[in-house]
Amino acid sequence: MIRVLNIVLLVACGVGLIGVYALKYQSEGVASRRLELQTQIADQQDQLSVMRAEWAYVTQPGHIAPIVRRHAESLDLAQIRADQFISVDALPMRPAAMDPDALTALLESLDAGIDPIAALIEAN
Amino acid sequence: MTMTGAAELGTIALDGARKTRGNQTRTRIRVLMLFIAAALVLIVGKLVTLGGTDTTANIEGRALDEITATRPAILDRNGIEMAVDIRVPSLYAEPNRMVDKPGAIAAILSVLPDLDENVLRERLNRDKGFVWIDRELTPAQKDDILRLGIPGLDFVTESRRFYPGGTEASHIMGMVNIDNKGTAGIEARLDRDNVALLQDLGFARDRELSPVSLSIDMRVQHALRDQLEDALSRYQAVSAAGVIIDVHTAEILAMVSLPDFDPNAPTSFSEDWLDKKNQRFNRITLGRYELGSTFKTITFAAALDSGAVKLTDSFDARFGIRFGKYLIDDFHGKHRVLQVPEIYKYSSNVGTIKMMQTLGSENYRAFLTRMGFDDPLKVELPETIVSVIPEKFSEVGAATASFGHGLSVTPLHMAQAVAALVNGGILKPATLYPRTSAEADAIGTRVVSQETSARMRYLLRLNALEGSGTHANKLADGYRVGGKTGTAEKVENGQYVADRNLNVFASAFPVDDPHYAMVILVDEPKPENQQSGVTAGWNAGEVTGRVIARVAPMLGIRPDFAATVDAALVPPELGRPVVTTDKDSTF
Repeated sequence: MIRVLNIVLLVACGVGLIGVYALKYQSEGVASRRLELQTQIADQQDQLSVMRAEWAYVTQPGHIAPIVRRHAESLDLAQIRADQFISVDALPMRPAAMDPDALTALLESLDAGIDPIAALIEAN
Repeated sequence: MTMTGAAELGTIALDGARKTRGNQTRTRIRVLMLFIAAALVLIVGKLVTLGGTDTTANIEGRALDEITATRPAILDRNGIEMAVDIRVPSLYAEPNRMVDKPGAIAAILSVLPDLDENVLRERLNRDKGFVWIDRELTPAQKDDILRLGIPGLDFVTESRRFYPGGTEASHIMGMVNIDNKGTAGIEARLDRDNVALLQDLGFARDRELSPVSLSIDMRVQHALRDQLEDALSRYQAVSAAGVIIDVHTAEILAMVSLPDFDPNAPTSFSEDWLDKKNQRFNRITLGRYELGSTFKTITFAAALDSGAVKLTDSFDARFGIRFGKYLIDDFHGKHRVLQVPEIYKYSSNVGTIKMMQTLGSENYRAFLTRMGFDDPLKVELPETIVSVIPEKFSEVGAATASFGHGLSVTPLHMAQAVAALVNGGILKPATLYPRTSAEADAIGTRVVSQETSARMRYLLRLNALEGSGTHANKLADGYRVGGKTGTAEKVENGQYVADRNLNVFASAFPVDDPHYAMVILVDEPKPENQQSGVTAGWNAGEVTGRVIARVAPMLGIRPDFAATVDAALVPPELGRPVVTTDKDSTF
């Protein structure tokens, strides 16, 4: 009875030993992977901080303004004038719809060989 | 069976089997206990040695954390970065771990040719665990050094402050020292508030802090600086400064003082300007000036708000006023009886003094206190100065103070006051942090009534339409600017110098529904050409006009050319605009 128990415990010990060893080995691998990733993250954060600074620099109004000034002539740029702003109400109405009957009449008369517009020009 | 030591004496002690086994067990237990105790002592000893070792990395006496400490990014109100941290590698060596020092020196110099060979050799030959080789390298240089594979060299990542805008907002940003501590401007203020504390507690080490937003609008800031720079060359002025604040929240949208400096190169702050030292300070908060006739705006508000003077009143401005041996007269005087709006429009000193005398000099002095001129600025910059106003005005002192002489205040005090006079009468301390109108109202104090505020808007607009502000109005047509000029002779060695003027324009726009107040200073301007003058309308006024024409579209102000807008500003008691035939402007 005791012998059986001893054998079972011995086997359990062995299994435990192998298990713990494997776990330790595995966690070492994970730890080194973690370190690797941390370094990578730090590196990328460093690069990101530089790129962010660069982006902030190139999008700065003070950086863009001289570029605009340099190309103002070729691109026909100018400062907006106050009188260029108008309200929606001040926009002209859409032009009146075309008169299809008049157009048909014009095309028919053209087909018939009479050009009313040329006649108008000649009359003047 | 076991015999004890007594056997030699001839006595034999015989123990029973059970007793013998009991003794054996007791001995075994004792041995085991001894082992366990020894093991425990070992463990405790190890713990003590572990506890004693200093695990924090030290570099020349400073914790590594301190060097990598970060500062929060600073953003403008639209999220444009004004200050960011760049993380850069710095190279150091551990000489006692280095094998081939001459070889290492040659290799390092191949990558970093700018280093001094002798200095490098001297450093590497020190018997120390740590020496800096070069700080703040580029990533490419770091890769090159790593490729050399020299033992005993290593990198530490340092945080370095970078201001993408360069000189654009220098006085607002301030600067930091090599240890990333703020020494001026908002940077110093941030440290005082919390960053230093966070760094001390270890929260700010090697990790990002949430960014800090300011009330500044970088677009407006740029436009203002651009126009002031233009003013320096156009009018050959020695310096120029300007500030724009939101009248409802008292947020500072832009603040520029020229000459300025580059916060990325802190030494530029101490460079000479026009052969003079210490010229690069912030004139808006640290400069204190006699603001001349712009102060009449304050005097008018005091007189009108008290009820002692009405817009319909008239004052005799035919003759100058004599105080003992001093005679105060008008510059380009009309020398006739003037109605209150005319006094403002023609900037009559005599009329203004008489209005102040009707109010009473003590009431006038009390009003200056109420307008916050005596209070220190609450703006979040360490660089501020208090006003110089006599505790009690003498008769002549009050008279000159009514048109802005004999008392000096900062331009930001003036901007706050103008904002209060046009926003409905509530004085709010200017700030660099964003806040809402409601938050500002909660800390604001009512200084004049709604009605007085409406009258001040009318007077400011009147002066822009018919008085000294016409230059500004012409350039910012449609944006309804209202403002008052001031041309103050500069004091040098206790004497007023006639040909050296400090020109000021204090304004608000759009005056029918004010959003922004602005104060522009141009110091010692010369005429732009033969046809132009040197009074404030010609320079500070024009700069104001140009700035408004540029920034109003960005700030979403719709131009309106309708004459009804100006007509609606005329207070009911006047009924109609003051009709005048002569249109020549004064200062």
